[in-house]
Amino acid sequence: MARTSPTDVPERTLKIVHRQQAVTDAMRFTELVVSHCDKACREAMVLAASELAENVAKYGAQNQDPGAGTISVSVAGNVTRIRATNTVTSPDDAHHVLNIVRRMAAKPSNVAELYRDRLRELFDKPGTSRARLGLLRLAFEGGLRVSASFEPPLLEIVAERACRNG
Amino acid sequence: MQLRTGQLLTIESMQLHLALGELRLSGMLTTASAQAELGRQLAIVHEHVVAQRIPSFVVDIRALSFVNSSAVRLFVNWISWAERARYRLVFLTERNVTWHRLSFSVLKSLSPGTVEINETQRGPEGSA
Repeated sequence: MARTSPTDVPERTLKIVHRQQAVTDAMRFTELVVSHCDKACREAMVLAASELAENVAKYGAQNQDPGAGTISVSVAGNVTRIRATNTVTSPDDAHHVLNIVRRMAAKPSNVAELYRDRLRELFDKPGTSRARLGLLRLAFEGGLRVSASFEPPLLEIVAERACRNG
Repeated sequence: MQLRTGQLLTIESMQLHLALGELRLSGMLTTASAQAELGRQLAIVHEHVVAQRIPSFVVDIRALSFVNSSAVRLFVNWISWAERARYRLVFLTERNVTWHRLSFSVLKSLSPGTVEINETQRGPEGSA
């Protein structure tokens, strides 16, 4: 049996039901789960909850399927983890996510550069329809390691970081 | 509703206050509807700055504790409008707020001649 710390929190899951409240609900939910963590960790996790819930609400399939959209948060030892799952309406969206994650994973020290490059692209082409900044921001501002998998139609994004108990 | 000088405008959990040569933003921006409305108001402020020929406009975000990435994009857009219209944007930021410290240094790099960052740091009792 795995040893657990007294501050471990087993994974807790929020189902995204009301799209308009998805972000606010996910932020509150996450804030509660990581309330004992240090400030930087709490801020990073709440940022992740906001960005991931917004993606689920924007790009996720609109149905009542239990796998349609969830945000799950857990704490194990000194690692906090947030996981978003949803079925996607367009596989292209999922492939964009995988592409961004691949670029971040290829050279984690380059995250700042990737974020700057994306802001530069948006600056040079203000008409670009989607900002696609969220995952880059998690890594750049939140210091989160982001991974993703796509088993059509289910997209899963995981973001995690080390934290100290507050 | 349109933001006017001296008035306080509330967009969900965010407040905007336009003063002479300065816009103060506070609270949080988390929803797509608030982001759309903020985008509309920033376009109005930009037109005001251009019409009044204000050479340097202050945006005080020290009390803006959280925004989503869509709102970061609104600041990108505003910087590009300001660059084209040749006025400066002076952002007052708070060092203790992570997204201010990290994202605004990158935003400045988009147009160093247009963007100025004045960073303050609150003391233990919240005073600058």
